[in-house]
Amino acid sequence: MKPARFAYTAPDTVEGTLDALDRFGDEAKVLSGGQSLVPMMNFRLARPEVIVDIGRVSGLDGMSVSNGTLTVGARVVHSRLEAPTVSTPDGRSESLGGVLGSLLPVVARFVGHLPIRVRGTFGGSIAHADPAAEWCILARTLDAEMVALRQGGERTIPAADFFETVFTTALAAEELLVAVRLPILGEDWRAGFCEFSRRAGDFAVVAAMTAVRLEPATGAIAEARIGVGGVAGVPVRLPAAEAMLVGETPGAGLHAAAAEAAAGEVDPVGDLHGSAAYRRDLVRAMVARSLAQGAGASG
Amino acid sequence: MGWVGRSIRRVEDPTLLCGAGMFVGDIGGAAAVRFVRSPVASGRIRAVRGPAYTIADLDADGVGNIEAVLHRPDYVRLAQPLLARERVRYVGEPVAVVVGATAAEAEDLAEQVELDIESLPAAVGLEAALDPDAPLVHPDEAESNVMVAGEMATPELAGALERAHVIVELEILSGRQAALPLEARGSHAVTERFGGRTTLHASIQAPHMIRTVICDLLGMPEADLRVVAPDVGGAFGQKLPLAREDAVVVWLSRRLGRPVAWIEDRSENLMASWHSREQRYRLRAGFNAAAHLEALEADVVANVGAWPCYPITWGVEPLMALAELPGPYTLEHYGVRSRGVASHTCPMSPYRGVSRPVITLALERLMDIAAARLGVDPVEIRRRNLQSDFPHISPTGLRHDEGTYREAMELAVSHVDMGAFRARQDAARAAGGPQPGIGICTFSERTGYGTPAFAARAMGVTPGFENVELSMDPSGYVTLRIGASPHGQGLETALSQIVADEVGTDPGRVRVVASDTDRTPYGWGSFASRAMVLAGGATYLAAQKLATQLGSLAAEVLEAAADDIVLADGRATVAGTSVGVDIAELARIAHHHTQRLPTGTMPGLSEQAGYDPAGTFSNACHVAEVDVDPDTGGVSMRRFVVVEDAGRLINPMIADGQIRGGVAQGIANALLEEVVYDEDGNILTTSLMDYLPPTIAEIPNIEILHLETASDATITGAKGLGEGGTIGAPAAVLNAVNDALAHLGVELNEMPATPERVRAAVRAAACGDSPGDTDRSTQEAAVR
Repeated sequence: MKPARFAYTAPDTVEGTLDALDRFGDEAKVLSGGQSLVPMMNFRLARPEVIVDIGRVSGLDGMSVSNGTLTVGARVVHSRLEAPTVSTPDGRSESLGGVLGSLLPVVARFVGHLPIRVRGTFGGSIAHADPAAEWCILARTLDAEMVALRQGGERTIPAADFFETVFTTALAAEELLVAVRLPILGEDWRAGFCEFSRRAGDFAVVAAMTAVRLEPATGAIAEARIGVGGVAGVPVRLPAAEAMLVGETPGAGLHAAAAEAAAGEVDPVGDLHGSAAYRRDLVRAMVARSLAQGAGASG
Repeated sequence: MGWVGRSIRRVEDPTLLCGAGMFVGDIGGAAAVRFVRSPVASGRIRAVRGPAYTIADLDADGVGNIEAVLHRPDYVRLAQPLLARERVRYVGEPVAVVVGATAAEAEDLAEQVELDIESLPAAVGLEAALDPDAPLVHPDEAESNVMVAGEMATPELAGALERAHVIVELEILSGRQAALPLEARGSHAVTERFGGRTTLHASIQAPHMIRTVICDLLGMPEADLRVVAPDVGGAFGQKLPLAREDAVVVWLSRRLGRPVAWIEDRSENLMASWHSREQRYRLRAGFNAAAHLEALEADVVANVGAWPCYPITWGVEPLMALAELPGPYTLEHYGVRSRGVASHTCPMSPYRGVSRPVITLALERLMDIAAARLGVDPVEIRRRNLQSDFPHISPTGLRHDEGTYREAMELAVSHVDMGAFRARQDAARAAGGPQPGIGICTFSERTGYGTPAFAARAMGVTPGFENVELSMDPSGYVTLRIGASPHGQGLETALSQIVADEVGTDPGRVRVVASDTDRTPYGWGSFASRAMVLAGGATYLAAQKLATQLGSLAAEVLEAAADDIVLADGRATVAGTSVGVDIAELARIAHHHTQRLPTGTMPGLSEQAGYDPAGTFSNACHVAEVDVDPDTGGVSMRRFVVVEDAGRLINPMIADGQIRGGVAQGIANALLEEVVYDEDGNILTTSLMDYLPPTIAEIPNIEILHLETASDATITGAKGLGEGGTIGAPAAVLNAVNDALAHLGVELNEMPATPERVRAAVRAAACGDSPGDTDRSTQEAAVR
């Protein structure tokens, strides 16, 4: 349980980090909070030649809102999302309100335990790309955008393209994830998040996030998103179940029908923590509860 | 007022709580030892290449094999090498060993070692190993994988079963568990350059026994090996047997002439330390019309892994099940066949409660199922079957001393307010959502047994007695040297309370020395809920003798009759007067002014004593309340109540701590923890993301009530209680889970009751093919 030999560098700046990544390429691995990478190194499941520690890089831990988008710096630690605050243009700090402001704390409390939440980072979780990680499910469900820098360039990667398979993303070896952009969700949105794990703080066996936008006039669902983790190599959206919701009015019967469709739509692979059939049962329960939670939050 | 019975703070705690403990890993100054372990479950070793020592090096030095012996028929006796020889028999079996400057470098070296192993078919699970065509684990020594077997039946069993009003059959399964001490195993050995004496520090439970067996293996006199168990971070039975690795560490330190240390990591501990309790029980029980259990027939199989453990052997689980299955009930007709089956998996050792958690699960599920079948309340059926005349002799000849089986249950049931619970349950059933359930478990815990009980097992060595040495120094402080080997239980504190009362001093003036073969009398260590009874009994006897010595001395100094001397509060006084002398002054006189002693008096103040009782039964009733989510199969604990009778409590706070820790492990066994292999014998649970001990969030507040039956079976009146929490909790929890889902027709008799198993049982019941399908009438007849 000791890591294989590795070189270590800790740049002070984003530029220095990009420089190191450019130089070491595939041999390098970025260390942020270390809550996943370090255990994997100790198990020797990860054997990076060079660790590029971004813990001393400033400017990556901000949160701000503009044009209906929340930008979360890659080094924002999980615990800050339990009571999210954003910087205003005039330099003040205010708590993030609205639907996303209510949702983030609900999700954040499922992330590991307190010691993990005070060290582990939002960007680290996204870049690590565990298919059952809460932030990855949230990013996929809300169609987040990942902001990646490389020497001499920046690009934005939509969540649908970002997560490729287990622990694998579209980030190139020379790229650094610096921020994630999330829609703040207007007052006509209703969101919920439910997770089943074996113990408090464990990775989810299955977790589901739902978000629906209601027509103000009719109360019918105009737009629906259902994201599920723990059923594939990446967090997945369930378009068939989403389509069932659109045009309907939220209610227990509709939620149950959509949850049933969701359970039929996933194609999980069984493992130690749950067979395929069991995971399907959990999808049904988590989707139904998440929808109910969202509906409850509206009233 | 005496010290015994008071919840004084533990003298052990300041050191541990301030992080000042000294564990094996804290010693340092040694090269790092790393074992290279088999990656396959079964195979033939063709070659080992690289910078490693192998069995060939041990053989060249004449190192012997471990022989764990039971003198009984139907027992396969094996010679086990310290590293694998020719064959590997489980994933994780040590094949070679490397030594590096640091732990990381030792891991690098281990990676360079190439194991050339021809993979062979493996027998992994219980059923696979039992199959007549199964690959054999020890093909040269045995014709099947059955390594130990026992059978017995009382003469009238068949007739009693035939006459029964109702026959209840059930199958109980227990998943494989790991004891999971917070500190994994480890050892550190230093051999003196001149004289060649070796000191082994190891995380173990029985230093004297380990010294004997290592010296036997290495062919060295025991006087040349000092074994010390420093602070030990939990053991629970896993550190009782000889670890092959510890013996290799001693060998390496002597061969290399440099300090070496092996600090087991968590993955090794989960993969290659000892496991326990992979068992199956099939019961056939006959009840009469009054719901009395008349006859019980059982078939027990325990997966005992690839090798026996020394000195307990792989008979420990199956033979305990055979002997103790009748439990706390007044069963008369009993028959059992019990087998230990070898497999290509990690070997087994005793783990807190050994087979008793599964025995108790089997009996307590039986009682609940029979109650439902007979239309009797679960409390009432136990009331009619629990022992109440003492001593009670079980069908296997065990003598149960006086206990409070019924009283404990009645107290527990009234404490939880069963009526209020049922009202809440009815409301929840109407409302849907999480379903509350309640489960009762009554059980006995065999504790504090000495040589006679171990002699009956016919092991190659017979553990049993405990000795202590007690002395008072010239300052009036007392030093107690014990052969038991406490590792977190609080024994030092409790023993100091016993000494203080007898000698008339304060526990703060008592020092306990333990776990060091150079500084303590030979003893068997701490395991099997024995230390408080045995070391406590020996301490009590030695303290009485020291008190007599002090009394005579005081009589001499005060010119009074020895019988009139009272020792209390640090003074020796003549009864009914204020005439007295400080005990500290007597201590000075005994050492520094021996001219004042009568001619012929032995100078100094020291005594020794031993204690070796037959044993005693503690008893308890556990009640668990759970919420079960039928949609996810998730179980959450709401409440846990324990009524415990462990006789006279020396320190109630310490007793409660033992109970709480035990219950937590029992809940873990019931709901969470399971070692899992795939069918090729690869172990899947080698990290704490996969093997799941509970966090504090999964354990409810545990409410504890005590009864104190003053047993005449022990000299202090104290009974053991170290294992009880773990023994009772799984059955209470499983009964509660079943109670929660009874209205759905669910029957679940397997632990751990993982969410997936619970959910599968709900689905099966909904489809009408529940495990209790043959007993559909049972479910319909279930009334409370």
